[in-house]
Amino acid sequence: MKTILVFREEKFAWAHEAFPFVHPLLLPLCNKPYIEYPLDLAILAGSTAVRIVCDGRLDAVESYCEDGSRWGIDLSYAHMHPEDSDEILLGKNRRFCGDERIMIVRGFCFFVYNKRFDYKSEAASLPECKWAACPAGGSITLYGAPVTPRKDGKDAPMSIVPLDGMANYYRASMEALETGADNYVLPGYGVEPGCAIGRNVVMSKSVQIRKPVNIGNNVQLLGDTIIGPSAIIGSNVIIDRQSVVESSIVLDNTYIGEHLEVNGRVASGNMLNDPVSGASIVMEDPHLLSGIRESEILSTLPRKLTHALIALLFIVVLSFPFLLFAMLLRIGGLWKSSRIECHSEKPGKTISLDNIELDVKKPLGAIAAALSMDRYPMLFRVLTGQLSLIGSTARVAEAKHPNTPSSSLAYRPAVFSYAEAEEWPTTGGDAAIVERYHLAHSNAAADVGLVFKAFINNFHKKSSA
Amino acid sequence: MNITETSNGGVAVVALEGRLDMLSAPEFRNNRSIIDPEKTVVLDLEKLDFLDTSGLGAIVGASRQKQNLACGIVLSCMNDKVRRVFEITKVQTLFHIFDDTAAAIDFATNRQSAST
Amino acid sequence: MSSIITLTLPGEIMFVRFASQTAASLARLLTDENPPASDGAQFVHDFELAVSEAFTNSVKYTGEHDALQMLTLTFEFQPRQLTVSVRDANPPFSIDRPAPDIEKGQIGGWGLMLISKVMDSVTYRRDGGSNILSMSKAI
Repeated sequence: MKTILVFREEKFAWAHEAFPFVHPLLLPLCNKPYIEYPLDLAILAGSTAVRIVCDGRLDAVESYCEDGSRWGIDLSYAHMHPEDSDEILLGKNRRFCGDERIMIVRGFCFFVYNKRFDYKSEAASLPECKWAACPAGGSITLYGAPVTPRKDGKDAPMSIVPLDGMANYYRASMEALETGADNYVLPGYGVEPGCAIGRNVVMSKSVQIRKPVNIGNNVQLLGDTIIGPSAIIGSNVIIDRQSVVESSIVLDNTYIGEHLEVNGRVASGNMLNDPVSGASIVMEDPHLLSGIRESEILSTLPRKLTHALIALLFIVVLSFPFLLFAMLLRIGGLWKSSRIECHSEKPGKTISLDNIELDVKKPLGAIAAALSMDRYPMLFRVLTGQLSLIGSTARVAEAKHPNTPSSSLAYRPAVFSYAEAEEWPTTGGDAAIVERYHLAHSNAAADVGLVFKAFINNFHKKSSA
Repeated sequence: MNITETSNGGVAVVALEGRLDMLSAPEFRNNRSIIDPEKTVVLDLEKLDFLDTSGLGAIVGASRQKQNLACGIVLSCMNDKVRRVFEITKVQTLFHIFDDTAAAIDFATNRQSAST
Repeated sequence: MSSIITLTLPGEIMFVRFASQTAASLARLLTDENPPASDGAQFVHDFELAVSEAFTNSVKYTGEHDALQMLTLTFEFQPRQLTVSVRDANPPFSIDRPAPDIEKGQIGGWGLMLISKVMDSVTYRRDGGSNILSMSKAI
């Protein structure tokens, strides 16, 4: 028995639009990528080899699933045209099919099955037929003569829910979570039924977990949060103080701010989607916003003063090395300076900054980079209050891509970034999460420590490179 | 590169062996069946060890010369290396791709008789 | 520790296989010494492909302005990474060109796009009168 899984790009275009950072076939459903569900089904039905066929790109899927040895099957990939019939597909994959019984599974659908039933003997004994189908286009069809005679017994349950939009995606995730490991093959460590928790999950004592929940890897649950019932938390997620996540899906790399109530939603990045109405909003945490407004005068002034004082210290201590390196590197042609326009802390405004590129392949350039000499001119901007000493990496303002920070809460351009202090990746989504977290939580005193940490990390990183 | 050509009814089977790059592309382009706009060709890539975008350009260019744009050249037996080049460049969407040469010949013969 | 191998070849198309197959052999040496976590054969093939593309491009644009030039390939070995740089004396170019859209019937111009897909990092710089295209891939 072999299986061909057939997907058409057109059917998952909505998922590409809603979650642009993940291939739709790898979209998390409960706590594993979608593609593993039809794969599990194929394996339950007794397949020794599975071929994934699509009219679009599969490279991301291929690098995730590889050759299928993880599941003990032979996994291969092929291309098709959107209009290909089953007959043409069987032709295009004739060598793969050989003379075995073939199951063609079509559609970006969720297959409702129950792993405790015997799909293997059912798939082997049914006549050539459509095993299951749904009007929206999903189907499971068997080709080739039955291998074993039909046995009497209970039919294994099988139905198909097309994943044709956010609403069904949400429903399918919840179905997988609620019936959970009873029906589906779900990874994760579960102390008790209905509760699976991944690796490296940090939660404070005051967190309440209400079953069923499923939590991924590298997750932080801060004080007094309530998770569940029916919450699916992905990987690399921070749920901040006193927030409630109920009947919701929080996808990978998402930060949920303080005092938020997320109920019946799909959260991804900073988008909060309502699966029922299809509406989506950009998450802005009202409490976080008011919290900062309240203390603006109280906390901004000491912060700015502290930043300015520490910047002054840096200016004095690094002045001699700066003069020396700037002169030597300029003579050697290893010091390239230009002006770039960056978004300022104030929405809609820009500031122009000196962008210095050092040739780090030469030892002298590398030492200068390790001592953060390229940041030196920016220190003066801290004295004038235009930059913070530590905050977000300054974002270049481009006419074509507005790239405007969604709110000042999530962006405070600075000489050093919080991501550098935490030894996190300093670009992309991961950096954005850690920067947001510190922007909301750090105070003047903590900033001082983080500045030195960032400086030292930078030193280690650049000098070892 | 070795080019082996066999005829199967009205369909020519052109098997490539070795490397299709800028150096061997002219030899491929000048092949009798490839150059003939009326000839339907099944291109057997099983023994093609190496294909770069110069070679790919030659295959795409040849298919554009065919009267029957969609099925003038049908591909068969791509190995993983070759498939990777097709997929990255998205050129796979231009061709019908089979994992078996006999199946490709059946398909090409059907399409040819349907169009005449 | 890193070691460097430099190869200077005439910028003619008949040397494209010499360049790419040398690249493949060097990549294979590295994978034999440090077996990669994932597919070693793919690492070797990607390297061969990238060098074939870069060399072909250099040769293609040589023809337009110069009768014969020498191309320099520099291979730099690091414990878990291999870098190759191709140096030519052609007019400057940009590596940020948009990928060709085959649906609009554009063919060709895939070389740089393919290189950036199969390699981990690709950088271009102009040095004096030369283009230097550097491509790295971690094992």
